[in-house]
Amino acid sequence: MNHDAWLAALTGELRRHGVGPDLTGHVVAEAATHLAESGEPPLAVFGPPQAYARAVADSLGGPDQRPPRRRPGPVRLGARGITKRYRGRTVLDRVDLTVRAGEIAAVVGANGAGKSTFLRICAGLVSPDAGTVQVDGALGYCPQDGGTAEFLDPDEHFVLVGAGRGLSRGAARRAGRTGAAALDWTPPAGTQARHLSGGTRQKLNLVLARLGEPDVLLLDEPYQGFDRGTYLDFWHEVWRWRDAGKAIVVVTHLLNQLDRVDLVLDLTAPGERAA
Amino acid sequence: MDQERRAQWLRGVLDLCVLALLSRGESYGYELSQALRAHGLGAVQGGTLYPVLLRLQRSGLLTAHWREGRTGPARKYYRISPAGSAALRAAATDWSAFATSVGVILTEEAKR
Amino acid sequence: MTKILVVAESALRELLRRRSVLVILLLLPLAFYLSRRGDHLGQSIRFVCLGLGWALSTAALFAGSAARGIEPRLRLSGYRSAHLVLGRLLALWTVGALLSAPYFVLVLVDQHDVRYGAIALIMALTVVVAAPFGLLLSAVLPRELEGTLVLLTVVGLQMVMDPADQATRALPFWFSREIGTYAIDHTDGGYLTRGLTQGITFAVVLTLLVAVAAAVRLRRRRHLRFA
Repeated sequence: MNHDAWLAALTGELRRHGVGPDLTGHVVAEAATHLAESGEPPLAVFGPPQAYARAVADSLGGPDQRPPRRRPGPVRLGARGITKRYRGRTVLDRVDLTVRAGEIAAVVGANGAGKSTFLRICAGLVSPDAGTVQVDGALGYCPQDGGTAEFLDPDEHFVLVGAGRGLSRGAARRAGRTGAAALDWTPPAGTQARHLSGGTRQKLNLVLARLGEPDVLLLDEPYQGFDRGTYLDFWHEVWRWRDAGKAIVVVTHLLNQLDRVDLVLDLTAPGERAA
Repeated sequence: MDQERRAQWLRGVLDLCVLALLSRGESYGYELSQALRAHGLGAVQGGTLYPVLLRLQRSGLLTAHWREGRTGPARKYYRISPAGSAALRAAATDWSAFATSVGVILTEEAKR
Repeated sequence: MTKILVVAESALRELLRRRSVLVILLLLPLAFYLSRRGDHLGQSIRFVCLGLGWALSTAALFAGSAARGIEPRLRLSGYRSAHLVLGRLLALWTVGALLSAPYFVLVLVDQHDVRYGAIALIMALTVVVAAPFGLLLSAVLPRELEGTLVLLTVVGLQMVMDPADQATRALPFWFSREIGTYAIDHTDGGYLTRGLTQGITFAVVLTLLVAVAAAVRLRRRRHLRFA
C-alpha cells in the first residue's frame, strides 16, 4: 500500500470511528509528515489504517462530540430588513439573516410569529412589504405541507422535479432513492403520494428539496410526523449537508437541537418574549 | 530480550518518557521517535507514539502547533505545558520509588 | 423541450389515475348526445360537442387546481412558467383527443348526410379551446366549486341562447354552434369561416391568458435577487 492510499484509507477509517473532520485533518497530516521524513512504509510505522484509527479514537476517550469549527464560507443567503404586514399587524419587522456556506440557521418563534412567512419570502414565493433577499446559488425549498402531487408515486416525483434541475430520468431516480435511503426510507414503487402517511410524505418532500444538490436549503418544519429515529436521521443529514458546504435554514419549534446549529433567528416579538 | 514484555513496560512509561523529552524543549513526532531510539528504548513506531501524544495533548499536558520546516513538510510541534511539567515531576518521583522497589526485589531474588 | 414533455407526462398520468372522474367525463357527452337523439337531426351532434367541451374544461379546471400545490416548487426547481403551462396543456389536449375519438366514430356510424370533416373540426377546436379555458378558470378562481359553477353557467347559456344573438359570440364555444350549422344544415361557407375565426381567436387568446396568469402567479419576486 503506498503512502497516499494508506492516508486515504486512514481518513475514511477515522471518520468511521467518529473522529471529527478537523482532528482527522491533523492526524492525517501528521502521519504524512512522519512518513515523508522517515521514508518508511506506512504499514511498518503505523500498522493497518483501521487499527491506527482505532488507537487514535481510543486515545480521545470516545468519538469527538465537539461541533467541528469550520471556517465560514461565502454568504449564500442574505435577507435584509424583511418587513411583512398582514391586515395591519406587523408580522415581520426589519428582520435580517445572513447564512454562509457550511452554516445552519434555525428560525424559531411562537406560532404566528411569521416563521413560515419569512421562509416563503426567502424562497421568493411571497413578496415582503419591504426588504430584499440576496441568494448566491440554487435554492431548494421544502414546504411545511403540500409540495407533492397526490396522484404521482415517489419515483415520478423524482423525475418531475429532477427534470427541472436538468437531471435525466435515471439520475433523478437514483438521487431520489439515495436521499430516501439516508432517511431510512425505501420509496414504494407505484404508491401514489395520497396513499403515503404524513411522515412518509414529508420524507418525500425533503428528498425533493435536496434533488440536484441546491446550495441553499430552506426547510419549513420538515420533520412533522417523523418518528424519533427518522428525526435523528434528519438532523444527521442536515449536519452532513452543512459539512458539504450547503447553507441551510430550518424553521423549528423544537429547541433541543439549537446547540447543534450555527445561528438562531428568534422571531418572537420582543414584548411577547418578556411575557 | 522478550519483545512482548518490553512492549508492556514501554506502554506503562512511554507518556512519561515523552513528557521528559519535551521538558528539554519542543519537538515533533519523528524527532521524538529518533530520540527514544537514541536513549535505547528501541524503535517506537508512529502507531504507538502519536496516540500517546494526542492523549497528552487532549488532557492538557502538552500544547501543539503547526510550523513550516526550513525543508520538507510542515510539522506539528509539541511543547510541555505547566500542567505537564507538574505531572512529570510527580510521576518521576513515583517512578523512582516504584523502580527502586522492583530493583530491590529483583536483586534480592538474584542473590539467593 | 424535455421539461415540457416531463410535465406533460406527469400531468397525463395524474389525469388518467382519476378513474372515476374519467368515467364521468367520458359518459357525460354521451348523455348529452342521447338526450337529443330523438329530436331534430343533428341537434344531438351540437350537444355532444358542447358536452365534450364541458367535460374537458372541467378536467382542466381540476388539473389546474391540483397543480397549484406543486407548481411553486417546480418553478424553484428550474422550470419556467411556460414549461408548466405548455406541458399541462399538452396533456389535456391529448386527453381531449382521446375523449373525442369515440364520439366522432359514434357520429360517423349514427348520423348520415352531414359534413364529417366539419364535425371533426368542431371537436378539434373544442378540445383546443376547452383545455386553456378550464386552466384559466382554475387560475382566476382558487376554489374548484366556483370554477365548476362558472363552467355550468357558460355551457348552460351556450345551450339556451340564440346563436344568432351577437352576445353569444362572447361565449367560448359559440363556434361549435356556427360550424355545426354548416356541417348539419349544409349552409354556405360563411358559417364555417365565422366559426373558425371565433374558435381560433378564443384558442389563442385563452392560451395566452393562461400563460400570462401563470407567469404572474409564478413570477420571480422583485425582492429576491440571485448573485
